[in-house]
Amino acid sequence: MGSSSGKKHKKDKKHSHRSRSRERISTNRGIDEDVTLDLTDDSSSTRQHRHHKHKKQHKEHRHKHHRHKERERPSEVISLEESDSDIYELVYFSGSDCVEVPVEQDARAKARERERDQIPREREREQIPREREREREQLPREQPLTRDREREREREREQLVRDREQEVATPPPPQISKHADYERERRREREVEREREARKRAGRERERVRGARSRSQSPTSSQQQQQQPAREREREKERAHSPIPENGAGDVLSIAETNKLRAKLGLKPLEMDSGPSKAAAPAASGSGSGSQQQESKPRSGGDKDLSAYKDEWGEFLHKPADNIQEKKEAEKLRDKLKQRKEKRFLEERLARIRTLGESDEETDNVSKWVDRNKRVVNEREEAKRKAKELEELDEAFGVADLVEQEKQKTRQQAYSDRNLKGLRVEHDMDDFGEGRTVILTLKDQDVLNEEDGDTLVNVNMLDDERYKKNVANKKLNPLSYGYNVYEEQYDKLGNPIERAILEKYDDDVDGKPKTRKNFVIGENVEEEREHRRKLLEIKTKLAGKRLETLQDTNIQLASDTFSVEELATFKKPKKKVKKLRQKLKAEDLEPLAEAAGTSNMGSRHGRYREADDEDVVMKEEPQIKLEPDDDDLERVLNKARKLKQKENIIKKSLPIDVASIKQDIKPEPVDDASSSTGVILSSADGNIVLNATAEFCRTLGDIPTYGMAGNRNEDSNDMMDFDNNDAMDEHMDGNHEEPSLSHGTWNSVNPDEVMQPADLDNLGDDVEERAILDEEPDVGAGVANALRLALSKGYLEKEEKNRPSNTKMAHLQAKNYSIEDKAAGEDDKIGRRDRFHAGPIMDFKDKETFKPNVKLDYIDDNGRILNLKEAFRYLSHKFHGKGPGKNKIEKRLKKMEQDGLMKTMSSTDTPLCTLTMLQQKQKETKTPYVVLSGSNKNAAGVSGASISKFK
Amino acid sequence: MIEITCNDRLGKKVRVKCNPDDTIGDLKKLIAAQTGTKHEKIVLKKWYTIYKDPIRLSDYEIHDGMNLELYYQ
Repeated sequence: MGSSSGKKHKKDKKHSHRSRSRERISTNRGIDEDVTLDLTDDSSSTRQHRHHKHKKQHKEHRHKHHRHKERERPSEVISLEESDSDIYELVYFSGSDCVEVPVEQDARAKARERERDQIPREREREQIPREREREREQLPREQPLTRDREREREREREQLVRDREQEVATPPPPQISKHADYERERRREREVEREREARKRAGRERERVRGARSRSQSPTSSQQQQQQPAREREREKERAHSPIPENGAGDVLSIAETNKLRAKLGLKPLEMDSGPSKAAAPAASGSGSGSQQQESKPRSGGDKDLSAYKDEWGEFLHKPADNIQEKKEAEKLRDKLKQRKEKRFLEERLARIRTLGESDEETDNVSKWVDRNKRVVNEREEAKRKAKELEELDEAFGVADLVEQEKQKTRQQAYSDRNLKGLRVEHDMDDFGEGRTVILTLKDQDVLNEEDGDTLVNVNMLDDERYKKNVANKKLNPLSYGYNVYEEQYDKLGNPIERAILEKYDDDVDGKPKTRKNFVIGENVEEEREHRRKLLEIKTKLAGKRLETLQDTNIQLASDTFSVEELATFKKPKKKVKKLRQKLKAEDLEPLAEAAGTSNMGSRHGRYREADDEDVVMKEEPQIKLEPDDDDLERVLNKARKLKQKENIIKKSLPIDVASIKQDIKPEPVDDASSSTGVILSSADGNIVLNATAEFCRTLGDIPTYGMAGNRNEDSNDMMDFDNNDAMDEHMDGNHEEPSLSHGTWNSVNPDEVMQPADLDNLGDDVEERAILDEEPDVGAGVANALRLALSKGYLEKEEKNRPSNTKMAHLQAKNYSIEDKAAGEDDKIGRRDRFHAGPIMDFKDKETFKPNVKLDYIDDNGRILNLKEAFRYLSHKFHGKGPGKNKIEKRLKKMEQDGLMKTMSSTDTPLCTLTMLQQKQKETKTPYVVLSGSNKNAAGVSGASISKFK
Repeated sequence: MIEITCNDRLGKKVRVKCNPDDTIGDLKKLIAAQTGTKHEKIVLKKWYTIYKDPIRLSDYEIHDGMNLELYYQ
């Protein structure tokens, strides 16, 4: 803007004095313009300025119509009266002015229009002075007068203008401008603007002056223009704030009308406080010029009225943030006030309290204090005295004793443990632990129920009991209904509790047992407890529970040797004294024979011998050895012994000189190594010989004559030991006589006559055979016996007998080959008969010698025995009806041949029989060697052939 | 106070003065008062957004001098 404004400035100077009167106004405008300029940027304003110059004429035409309309409308004056007048002035004098906002253009256009309208009027007005001039010319005397008047008027005006300029020159009021720099800038711009304005005005003025001819009339016209109708101004105002151009808008209501309408619709009136009019008012008043206001209104005013929504560039504006500092300060202040208040309150309260330092009339005054103390002491003494007097009086009347007695009585009557004696406590005694205090209360009872007497209970313990009961009930199996037949219940001492029948019904409905454990206070509890304790001890002892100390038994190292004490207690294990009588030797028997000779009677003799024997035993103990004896030896020995015995018997029976006979008979060496059966054999006459059969027979029954002498010597088993071919047949005669001699004993049976010699093993069998019915096994003894019985009766068949019977499987039996049958009975008729006659209990006899040798062999068509694999193959081929292939057959044949060769091959020679050839050669040459040399000369004759062969 | 222009492009064009905290419904009533149509029949649109009655102009960010499209339903 600088350069252009400079030029304008120069131009302005030319017209400066001509347009002085107008300058006054222009300066005014200039001031106002400042306000706008500092808000807009200069370039734009200038641009628009030029632009509007061109468009000016068109707009005037366009807006004519509207303006007329508005004029007719009742216009509302809201504010800005002062500024409006200024606007008018501005519009009038400046004609076309630079404006950015269309509204302004509008306004100015109107102004221009008005100007135009006024031009004819002015002309009319101007004509009047012209006529006056003419009149003056006609009346030359009057001229100097009028000229003087005009001059005066002009002077006055100039002065006015000067004054105004001074006003303008003075800086605007400080309320508007906040910063000095800002102010300075504004001033500069203002000057520039003023110059520009002046220049413009001058241009226009010139034109006007030309048109008007006289310059002097212009001021009058300006004055006329200043008296513009207020109505128009108001209209301007009203429309000014609207951002919508009037030409574009259709139906518009004024604010008042809108407000009325809003009131009818129940809406609040339009917010005019934020509106442009109110915001613009102070600005206008501050600046004191209307024309600037007009320009600034849509910008600054609009900004302000929408300050809640827009910032200065029309952007949306946010609500400013709260000032925290202010808030804080307010808070602080509030706190301070509060503290003050509290402080005051406290101070007030403290003020009421008497402090130590404060004076107190009663205490401060010594005499008063003393008086008060005295009074107190006196009162006390008085009371004492009175009490004493009363006591004395009581004593005098003997009341004191009475009182004492009363006291004692009451003390005696006090409820003590004596009174508790006999009371029943409905708890188990064991529930009361030692050293535990339990508060008991009287149990609730019927008032009329006096039989039971008072019982004490503890409520908590009752609860506990109930709880225990509940737990026990819960543990019960719900299916058994609390009744378990097999469960044994024990009390604490381990005694089984005897249960009543259907005892579960003993509890009453509430689950409280009808009978409860109880005890009576005052009964000797201690004794009972002691008793119980003892019982318990016994129980525990019986249960095998031993009280053991926890002290460790001191551990000792095990030593290899015994200590002295241990040795004292130590006992050597006794060696088993072996019965040596069994191991008598032939030599030992010799004195026996002598003794027999000396002592006649067997019994006495035997007694003697026994004693003698013992001596022998003691002597020979270490030498005796137990040796396994073979049966033959034993048999021989037995025979010998018997013979000897017989001899003795003969001796006894026959009154023969013992000594002579003894000499005759050569004593046989009897090595009495008795059998391993452990039978004690007594030698010769006096001694007892025991064996299994004898023992068995002995137990059969009481033998009345058993103890008799000589009877013992008779042994029923003797005959078994005799051989038929015994050389001692001669003695048999003597033996025959024996039964007559031995009276009262068993009848001896002649073994030769009655029985064939049989060994002990067959004895049982013989007995069995003799029995008609078998001994029936005891069925009750066990399953095995039962099975045996079932077998014997034929209810069960043994595995072997389960074979297919002959009749059924006859077609399978071999025609010309019979397998030896196992059944024993089939071969002889007796057996077969037996089978039928023996009865069901008889066992089916097996052949004793039946031992079949079963061997399964597979033989092929050639009679060759096949092994397992071959047998399978053979069978398989037969089964499938399809033999092996040719190759396979050949291969197998080859193999068979080879096998045959292998079998025929000698094991001692090579397959080519080189060994035999060699041996033959050796035989021929009669040399133990064969010469292998290849030289023809030496060995050609000897072994050429053989060598060649060997090669 | 803001001024809003409403135009149905059929010959009715209204400038309405109102407060930014008026609702669209209020605006419609004002328009109705000026144009003579029932306010229930008025639909205000800007491009494809139909303004709803209970919402305030400020919430729709309708500012001074804005043009709204006026339709009838």
